[in-house]
Amino acid sequence: MPKTIDPITLQVIGGALHAIAEQMGNVLYRMSYSSIIRESQDLGAGLFDLDYNTLCESDSTPMHIGSIPGYLRGIEKSIPKTDWREGDVVIHNHPYFGASHSPDIGIVMPIFYHGELVGFSANTAHHLDIGAATPGLIIDVPDVFAEGMLLNGLKLFEAGKRNETLWRYISGNTRVPGLVMRDLEAQIASAELGVRRYCDLMDSYGRDTVEQAASQLMDYSETMLRREIAKIPDGDYTAEGFMDDDGRTRGVRLPIKVTVRVRGDDVEVDLTGSSPQVPTAFNVPFEGSTKVACYFAFRALLLDTYTHQEYIPQNEGSFRPVKVTAPLGSIFNPIAPAACEARFNQIQRVVDLIIKALAPVLPDKCTAGNAACLSFASYSGLRDSGDYWVLIEVNEAAMGARPRSDGPDTIEELMRNTRNNPLEDLGMHLPMICDRYEIRDDVFPGAGEYRGGMGVVKSQRFQTPGFMTHESDRNEDVPWGIFGGSEGATAIVRIENAASGQPSRDVDAKFSGMRAELGDVVTYLSPCGGGYGHPLNRDPAKVLDDLLDGFITADHARDVYGVVFCPVQNGYGWGLDDAATRDLRARMRAA
Amino acid sequence: MSQSARRSQSAGCGMIRVGVDVGGTFTDLVLEQASPDGAQRVFTHKVSSTIADQSIAVVQGVVELCAIAGVQPSQIDALFHGTTVATNIVIERNGAEVGMITTRGFRDILHMGRHKRPHNFSLQFDVPWQSAPLIRRRNRIVVDERILPPDGRVETPLALDQVEAAAELFAARGLDAVVIGFLYSFVNPEHEVRAAEIVRRVLPDAFVCTSSEVVNTIREYERFSTAAMNAYIGPKVARYLDNLKRRLAEAGVNAFVRIMQSNGGVTTVEQASRNPVGLLLSGPAGGVIGGRWTGEACDQREIITIDIGGTSADISVIRNGELTIKNPRDTEVAHMPVLVPMIDIDAIGAGGGSIAYVDSGGAFRVGPKSAGAEPGPACYGRGGLLPTVTDAQVVLGRLDAEHFLGGGLHIDPALSEQAIRTHLAEPLGLTVKQAALGVLRIINNNMALAIASNSVARGIDPRNYSLMAFGGAGPLHGVALGEMIAAKNVIAPLHPGITAAMGLLVTEPRYEYTQSSLTILQSGSDADFSAVNAAFGRLQAEAAAQLAADGIAPQAQRFERIAECRYVGQGFELRVAVPDGPFTAATAQEMARRFFAVHRTEYGHAFEDQAVQMVTLRVIGSSRSDTLRLPLLEKGGRRNPSEAALYARPTTFDDGETIQTPRFDRLKLRAQDVVAGPAVIVQQNSTTIVPPGFVATVMKLGDLVIARAEGEV
Repeated sequence: MPKTIDPITLQVIGGALHAIAEQMGNVLYRMSYSSIIRESQDLGAGLFDLDYNTLCESDSTPMHIGSIPGYLRGIEKSIPKTDWREGDVVIHNHPYFGASHSPDIGIVMPIFYHGELVGFSANTAHHLDIGAATPGLIIDVPDVFAEGMLLNGLKLFEAGKRNETLWRYISGNTRVPGLVMRDLEAQIASAELGVRRYCDLMDSYGRDTVEQAASQLMDYSETMLRREIAKIPDGDYTAEGFMDDDGRTRGVRLPIKVTVRVRGDDVEVDLTGSSPQVPTAFNVPFEGSTKVACYFAFRALLLDTYTHQEYIPQNEGSFRPVKVTAPLGSIFNPIAPAACEARFNQIQRVVDLIIKALAPVLPDKCTAGNAACLSFASYSGLRDSGDYWVLIEVNEAAMGARPRSDGPDTIEELMRNTRNNPLEDLGMHLPMICDRYEIRDDVFPGAGEYRGGMGVVKSQRFQTPGFMTHESDRNEDVPWGIFGGSEGATAIVRIENAASGQPSRDVDAKFSGMRAELGDVVTYLSPCGGGYGHPLNRDPAKVLDDLLDGFITADHARDVYGVVFCPVQNGYGWGLDDAATRDLRARMRAA
Repeated sequence: MSQSARRSQSAGCGMIRVGVDVGGTFTDLVLEQASPDGAQRVFTHKVSSTIADQSIAVVQGVVELCAIAGVQPSQIDALFHGTTVATNIVIERNGAEVGMITTRGFRDILHMGRHKRPHNFSLQFDVPWQSAPLIRRRNRIVVDERILPPDGRVETPLALDQVEAAAELFAARGLDAVVIGFLYSFVNPEHEVRAAEIVRRVLPDAFVCTSSEVVNTIREYERFSTAAMNAYIGPKVARYLDNLKRRLAEAGVNAFVRIMQSNGGVTTVEQASRNPVGLLLSGPAGGVIGGRWTGEACDQREIITIDIGGTSADISVIRNGELTIKNPRDTEVAHMPVLVPMIDIDAIGAGGGSIAYVDSGGAFRVGPKSAGAEPGPACYGRGGLLPTVTDAQVVLGRLDAEHFLGGGLHIDPALSEQAIRTHLAEPLGLTVKQAALGVLRIINNNMALAIASNSVARGIDPRNYSLMAFGGAGPLHGVALGEMIAAKNVIAPLHPGITAAMGLLVTEPRYEYTQSSLTILQSGSDADFSAVNAAFGRLQAEAAAQLAADGIAPQAQRFERIAECRYVGQGFELRVAVPDGPFTAATAQEMARRFFAVHRTEYGHAFEDQAVQMVTLRVIGSSRSDTLRLPLLEKGGRRNPSEAALYARPTTFDDGETIQTPRFDRLKLRAQDVVAGPAVIVQQNSTTIVPPGFVATVMKLGDLVIARAEGEV
C-alpha cells in the first residue's frame, strides 16, 4: 500500500466519494413516494469501510449523518462479517442494536470487489408508518414493542434473491404499504448505486489507493477538529435545562444536564445528572442518537462550514476526539425494552446546552438560546376505501442570535435540516388544508444587539375526521438570551374548530393518537430564539427595519432598544429620529 | 479582421449575422457574412462596455464593425446578443423594489423558503433569502382569497378592494414591480389574473407578473421565488431591451434581434422582456457554447471552460462534447430557486480588473471588487489608482503596451508600477516584482479552487480534461491554472477575447412550449389521448410560428416532443421522448416502456406494475443554424518560426525568473507550427503566455494547444 497519496489524487478521491454519497441521496429522494422522504429529505446515505468507518455521507440531515455506523455495528450481532454474500440486502431498525430510532429504517448492502468484501453501501430513511400503536408517530406507549415492526438485521435479499415472505410481512404490517414498500425499493436502488460507484472508483484508482486516501481523509478531519478543541482552555463546563414532561405524566419536568470536559485536544460530553429513563417513548437510543448529537455539536461549533475556508470532509475522523457518557438507565441511555422512538427534542437540547456551557469561552462561535426543539406532527385518517392516509411533517423553529448576526427566523436548527412539505403538494393528495404558514406575530423577537430568530406559526385543518400525534416540547423552558440579550419565547400548541364554535384551547406539547373532528385546526407556534448582546447597542437602522417589517412596534423599539421614530410621508410611515434616539439611549444607559 | 477577406465577396450578397457579447469590461462583436459559394467572411471588434446602459456600446460597436466590414447597418439580417444585464442586477442587488400580493396567512413563504438552512455544520451561517430578500416583508401584502385543491374551487372569493388598496400603497411607495402569488394558482389562475388586472390599472407603468404565468408548476416557494426574481430584474431588463431596440433603429439596424437565454438557445426581445428570468445566464452561455465549438475544432470533447473577463470568471464543464444542463428542480440563482432550464455555469469574482489590496487585518487580497472598464486598471490612466491583476501583468512584462488591444488603448506601465508600489509593495515590505507575482498567485489560486469545486468535487478528474481559457485575460492565466488543477493540456482559442460572441453565432434558435397534463399512460381513454394530440398540435403550431417569424423555412424547422413523466405518487419527473405520429393507446404503451427504461437508467430500478403519469407536455422547436465556418490555416509545421517573430523583451514568469522572451505574432502562425516557451504570443485582443518548459501547437483553425514539453529542451 502506498504510504501517502499525492494531494491531487487525494482531493480527486475525496471529491468522488462526496459525489457518490450525494448521488445515493438524490436517487433515494427523487425515486421515493412519501413526502417525508421525497420532499422533506429525512434521510442519509453513504459508504462505509469494513471497520464501519464512514467514508462519505450525503449532505442531508445531521441526524442521519453519523448514525449509520451504529446500524452496522448492531447488524454485526446478527450477521457476522463472514456471513455476507454478494447481492445481500439487509434491513434494520432496532434501536437497541444501533438504530437511530425505529422509523428510520436502514438498508445495507455489502460491497464485494473481485470477490472480497471491502465495505458497505447503506442508507437510512424515515418511514411514514411501521405499524406502531398509533399511526405515524408515537409518544405514550409502554415499550419498544409498541413502536411497530422491529427488524433486527434481517436479509431482505439473499445473494440477489428477494425474501418474499419477509417482503409480504412488512407490507402487511404498515398502514401505508403503497408508500412504504416503494420507498424501500428507492432505498435499495440507492444502495445498489453506491455499490456500483465504489467498485468503479476502485477500478479507476486501485483498491489500495482508494483505501489509503479514505484513511488520510479521516485523519485530516480528525486533525482539524483536534486543533480547534486544543484552543479551548481545559476545564469542566456545565449547563442545565429541562423538558416539559414525558408525554404521559403531566407537570413533571425532566432535568437535562450537560458537562463538557475539555482536556487538551480531547473532549467528553457527560450527561450524568439528566433525568432517569421515562416510561413512555420519550427516551433516546444511545448509539444511534445520543452520540450523534454530541459529534454534531463540536463540528458545528468548531468547524463551522460558513466561517471556515477549508472544506473538511464528512467522515469518521470528526467523531474520534469526542467521548460521550450517559449512565445506563438514564433518558439518554435507556435499558430495553423501554420505548425510545420520540427522541429528537432531547438531543436538540443536548446540543443547545453544549453551546450554552461553552459560550463563556467561545463567545465568537456560540449562539444565544436556540429553539432547540422539534415539532413532529403526524396526521392520519381512513379513506372511504378503508385505506389509511398518513402525513408526518416537521415544523421548523428559530435560532438564537449570534456574535455578528441576528438569529435566522423560521428555520431548521441544530440536528435537523429537513425541507418542508410544499403546502400545495400536501393539499393535492391529502384531506388536510393549511390555513396559515408564516412568521409568528404574537411575540417580539428576543431583543439584543443582534435579535433572536422568530419562530413559525402553522395551522393545519382536518377536512375529515382523523387522528393526530404530536411530538414536541419547550412549551415551558424559554430559550435564553446571552451577554445582555433578552430571552426568546416558548412554544404554544392550540386546537380550535371554527365550524363547531368550540373555544380554542392550548394543549400540551406532546399528545398521542388524539381524535380529530372535521374542521379541527391545530396550530403550532414554535419557540423563538434569544438575543445576543445589549439591545441598546443595536444599530438603529436595523431597529427601523424590524419596525417596517412588522417584527416590533414603535413602543417596543423605544422601551427596549431606545430608538425613536418620526412620521414620514414616503408610503412607509416611519423614519429614524436620530437626535431623539441618541438622547434616549444616553438616558437609558445612565439609568 | 484577419482570415476574413481572402475570398472577398461583394458586400450584400449573403446573409449577414452579428454576434454581440457584453461583458463587465468589454463588449465583443463578431460579424459573419455568408456567400452563395459557402465561404464566409468573418470580422471581429471590441469596444469598452458602457455600464450604465450596455446598449450604448452595443450599438457603437455594431456601427463600427459594419464600417470595418464595409457593409451598411441596414444590411444586417440577424443580430444575436448575450447580455449580463439580468445577472448584474442580482449580483449587485440593485433590482426593483418589488411589491407582492399574496394569500392571507401566507405572507412569509419567500422568507421561510423550504425551511432548510444552507449549511448543515454551521451555527454562524447566513440565510440569503432572509438577509437580502428579493421582496422585503414590508412590501408583501396579504389579501383575502382562497382556492382549494385538488380541483381549484374558490373557497374565499378574491377581495378586490384589498388588492386595490395594496396597489395604491405600492404606488405611494413608488414601487415599479409587483408580483401576484396565490396558493394553488397552478390549478386555477383566476384570482392571480384578476388581481394583476387591478394592479396594472392602478400602476400602469409597473412591471407586473403573476406566479403562474412565469412558471406554471406546483410548489409555492419555488413558483413564488421564480416570479419574484422575474419581477426583481424585470423593469431594468425591459428598459435595457427597449433602449437597445431604439438605439439600433436609430442607427439604421433593422435586423431581427435574438437574445441568448440561460438554456443555450435564443429568444425574441419581446419574450425576453416579458420573462427576463430566462436571461440570468445569457452572458456566460455564449462562452460555453463557443468553448464547445472550439473544442470540436481541436478534437477535444472533455473540456473545462474558464472565461476570464475584466470582472469575473465563468466556469463550466463539457463532458463528452455535451453541455452540462442543470436539472430544473435544482436551478438556483444567488441561493434562490429559479425554475428555468439553464446551463451549469459557476461564476466567481476574479478577472483582469480585480483589485488587489491589503485588508484591515494586513492580509493580501485580490478581488472580488473590480475596477471594471471605468476607471479600469491603473495603467489605463483614466483615474484608476488601485492596482489590478492587469497592472501586475504589465509590471511583469507580460502585457506589451503597443499590443494591448492592438495598440488601440494607450497603457502606461509607470502607472501600474506606481499603484503596486504604493498600495501593495510598500505596506507589505515587498519589492514591486514580488508584490505583482503575489497578485497573480492569489488570483490564480482563487480560480483554481473554483475549478476544483466544479470538477474534482463532482468526481471529474481534471487530468482527463483540457482547460480552455478564454476571455481577454484567459490565455494569460491558462497555463498557470492548468498546472494548478493538473489539466491534460490548455487550449487558447483563435480569438480568446471574442469566443463568447462567436458562440452566439453557433447557437440555434430554440423555443420551448409546455402544457400541464395529468394523463395516465396505461389507463388513459381515447378522449385523453385526443386531448394530448390537440395539446401537442397547439404547442407545435406555436413553435412553428415563432420559427417562421425568425425566417426559418418550414423544411428547416425541427420539433422535439417530450413528456415529463413520473409514477403516480412520485414527486420528480423524468423526460421521455414521444414517438412521431398521432398519440394513440399504442403510443402510450410505448411511452410507458420508454419511461421504465429511463427510470432504470436513472435509478437502477423500475416498477413495471405501476401507473405512469404524464405531467408536462413539451415541444422544442429548433433549426440547425448556419454554423460559423472559419477558414483552414495553411500548413506551417515550423518551430518558433522566424517569420512570426517580433522582438524579445524581459518577462517575469511565475517562478520569479526574468527571461529575455521572444514575442510571436499570432496572425502569422500557421497550422502545425510549434512555439516553445519561454514565449509570448500576441494578437489584437489577447496575449498568450507560454512559460519555459511548455510548447504551444497551432491547430488547423489557429487555436493553440499548450502542453508540457516532453523530453524537449
